[in-house]
Amino acid sequence: MSRRRGPIRRIVRVLGYGLALALAGVLVYSAYLTWAITSEFDARGWDRPAQVYAAPLELYGGRGLSVADLTQELVRLGYRQVVGPLATGTFRRDRNTLEIRRRAFAYEGNATPEETLRIRFADDAIASIADDAGRVVAIAELDPLLIGSIFPTHGEDRIIVGPEDVPELLIDALKAVEDRRFDEHLGIDLRAVARAALVNLRSGEIRQGGSTLTQQLVRSYFLSTERTWTRKFSEALMAVALELRHDKDELLLAYVNEIYLGQDGMRAIHGFGLASRFYFGKPLTELELHEVALLIAIVRGPSYYDPRRNPERALKRRNLVLEQMRDLGLIDEQALAASRARKLEVITAAGRHAAYYASFLDLVRRQLQRDYADDVLEATGLKIYTTLDPTIQASAEEALVAELERLQPDRPELEGAVIVTNPHNAEVRALVGSRRVGYDGFNRALDAKRQVGSLIKPVVYLAALESGRHSLATEVDDAPIIVPLEGGKTWLPANFNNEAHGLVTVVRALAESLNLATVHLGLDVGLAPVADALARLGADETPALYPSLLLGAIDLTPLEVAQVYNTLANGGFRVPLTAVRAVVDADGNTLQRYALNIEQVSDPVSVYALNQGLVQVMERGTGRTAQRALPSGLRTAGKTGTSDELRDSWFAGFSSDHLVVTWVGNDANEVVGLTGGTGAAQIWARIFGKLDAVAYDPPPPAHAETMWIDYYTGLETDSGCTDAVLIALTAYDAPPKAASCGSTRTTVGSRVRQWFRERRE
Amino acid sequence: MTVTSKHMERALGRGKPFLILAALGVGAAGCTSFSSYDPGARAPSPAETITPPGFPPATSTARPQNADPAAPRGQASLPVASAEPRSTPPKVRQENAASAVLLEQSRDERAAGSYAAATASIERALRIEPNNPALWIELAEVKAAVGDFDQAEMMARKALTLAGSDRSITARAERLLSR
Repeated sequence: MSRRRGPIRRIVRVLGYGLALALAGVLVYSAYLTWAITSEFDARGWDRPAQVYAAPLELYGGRGLSVADLTQELVRLGYRQVVGPLATGTFRRDRNTLEIRRRAFAYEGNATPEETLRIRFADDAIASIADDAGRVVAIAELDPLLIGSIFPTHGEDRIIVGPEDVPELLIDALKAVEDRRFDEHLGIDLRAVARAALVNLRSGEIRQGGSTLTQQLVRSYFLSTERTWTRKFSEALMAVALELRHDKDELLLAYVNEIYLGQDGMRAIHGFGLASRFYFGKPLTELELHEVALLIAIVRGPSYYDPRRNPERALKRRNLVLEQMRDLGLIDEQALAASRARKLEVITAAGRHAAYYASFLDLVRRQLQRDYADDVLEATGLKIYTTLDPTIQASAEEALVAELERLQPDRPELEGAVIVTNPHNAEVRALVGSRRVGYDGFNRALDAKRQVGSLIKPVVYLAALESGRHSLATEVDDAPIIVPLEGGKTWLPANFNNEAHGLVTVVRALAESLNLATVHLGLDVGLAPVADALARLGADETPALYPSLLLGAIDLTPLEVAQVYNTLANGGFRVPLTAVRAVVDADGNTLQRYALNIEQVSDPVSVYALNQGLVQVMERGTGRTAQRALPSGLRTAGKTGTSDELRDSWFAGFSSDHLVVTWVGNDANEVVGLTGGTGAAQIWARIFGKLDAVAYDPPPPAHAETMWIDYYTGLETDSGCTDAVLIALTAYDAPPKAASCGSTRTTVGSRVRQWFRERRE
Repeated sequence: MTVTSKHMERALGRGKPFLILAALGVGAAGCTSFSSYDPGARAPSPAETITPPGFPPATSTARPQNADPAAPRGQASLPVASAEPRSTPPKVRQENAASAVLLEQSRDERAAGSYAAATASIERALRIEPNNPALWIELAEVKAAVGDFDQAEMMARKALTLAGSDRSITARAERLLSR
């Protein structure tokens, strides 16, 4: 007997061991899954991106801003125009008055409460602002536009919402449609699986899924879409593990912030917060019933129910969601009927593009990485306040896209870049790195090192003015020149039109961008002072000292060019270009304010004189077409740049309050056949025309002398004469006035030279 | 009152060509020179320039950076902007009530010792009126108050380039630069 029982016992024993082993395996595997899901959940919980804000719109009496401008700005911020009573985030118009129920917001850590602002307009400007009680308000801000959420150390966009930001109705509807027994089950809902199978079988299409919200969350974390039993099992196990460790509210909030709700090119739209912006352009808290229902509808299949690509399908499912909400008593018949009657009302693709500031965010990310340690940037819930002006950004994007489209025919693929700054504090107000706006990709504004051509000339002329050997009124020879180079080679520069003009005034050589005169001038001053001036103005690297530097044989990025010209526009004070005003942590403590930091790097009189010359570029020289496209009276200073064989087209120009730099070229550096004037200047003028710019007309600095001279002869002349131009002199004893327009005995230039000779000896 | 070459060096950084020039200018003392780093040459004494602030009262929804709105106003010893019109006013956005209120707010904050808030208020005003030398000189004084003399000097120089013939600004700038 015992011998017979032997094999059975052995089998039983083996089976028992096997079972125990399998059980142990399952336990280990479960433990592993539990560890995997909880660590993932915890990581996500802490991994909150920084929220990035544009500069808030400042409202004050006297500001040039029309009713239409402000309305547009409000719409961009997701405010809605109403006729009846004002609710948060709405406004109404009564002829020349806008009444706004401004949202509460925090800026740089300071809380500003919700309030009503009555803004009266007159002549396309704000006449006055009053609060609810009729008191005069000197200055008020709108809540700053949320332009993105970034993980500063890697780049992903998400808008994390807290419990207070999630409408009750959204949660209720989510449960109603996706997981009715969410509050009772422990991560899996077998009844729902059975019911879903039955419903789907009956209707012949997938109308219900059996997955709980928790299971969906798990699935979203691990991004696996394969439909296998192992995966189903792992998913269920992980769901249970999550349920055991976290309460329902935590799980719901995680779901709301995690679930995939659409695709914007390369960018995945995760979470209801970002989806609300993506589809409706406003915060989650302000969604109406039919909008909430649409987002819930999209959960089931963001691509299949894409409201932009498959509107009919999306509408049908949205209405189904609404009916289910009615069935569960979440809404009444009346609300159902009203919401069913609404269209999808998703914002257009154009509005969406303007809403993703890829190029600018790129600059923000780089400046943060430059200025902060990684562990600071990885902290949860940072708020980053930037310098972006969404209105200027929109107009810069529009100008670049439209002008490149116009210039494109019969040319290699054109690309472009735009940078707009405020010269006084060097804040970057707008930045476009490609004509494909709204997409991440090669950022030409920051990374395209391109030959600057004549854009370098103001640096040469500044060095000349600083040297004291020249003023705008002195003469320089615009004659052919053979420049000996190392190794017995020679360089033969030529003018753009291959003509030589003989003796010309310095102001004319600059205004008409004469190459030969510039080479003569630069060689007289010396290459080292020119390179030194370039470095002082803010170029990143010191160039090699070849004579061709004088005509711009140096590669700079648009951002570097903007830095150099910003220093000129700022009267010789260099301020590092910045895109960030402040970084505030989750508790509202300011981690860093970027305080204004200025450095005088050139003599203000020389810079003032140079800038008067750059005004002549616009009035008489290579920038005059661009100047004529601007509103009359808007005096600007600027310079064109064209590289060898017309590969790069540049323009840099400024008013008193804005600097705009534009570049056009081809990524493979092919010939595009555009000069600075025919290409980049067109974009520049289109942008500048829309800025509410203040004319460039600074007071002469102390010790500067201004006088009228003849543009062609450099002789002092009367302001009424045809070719009279106002220049500044760095050293000057008043000479006798010329008797009539365009004639006199001695030139101002010769007197200046004389003055210097006297002082040196 | 004399601006030393040390000041110039600091102001100019790597500006070698200009250093030579500046030296020339100093050499030719008394002449109108290329060097504008001698802002005190024609400035009046500081005593002439203190005038009471002349800004209209207005409420502000400016960000409440000062925890205590009842903080004491600037003392008499505090240099304040002249309310008299500039004789050669630069063409900027005209005297702006918003920037005036922010200037007042900044003074309150400064008087209360909230220098960061005072700085932020002035910088905000400068975004509205970047060419107003009174704002730049105010910022320069805040910088000096917190011991940032390099920036105080730079901002005083910036104010000078915008001051035209506003003697109160040049005097305040001169006082800062002579430290």
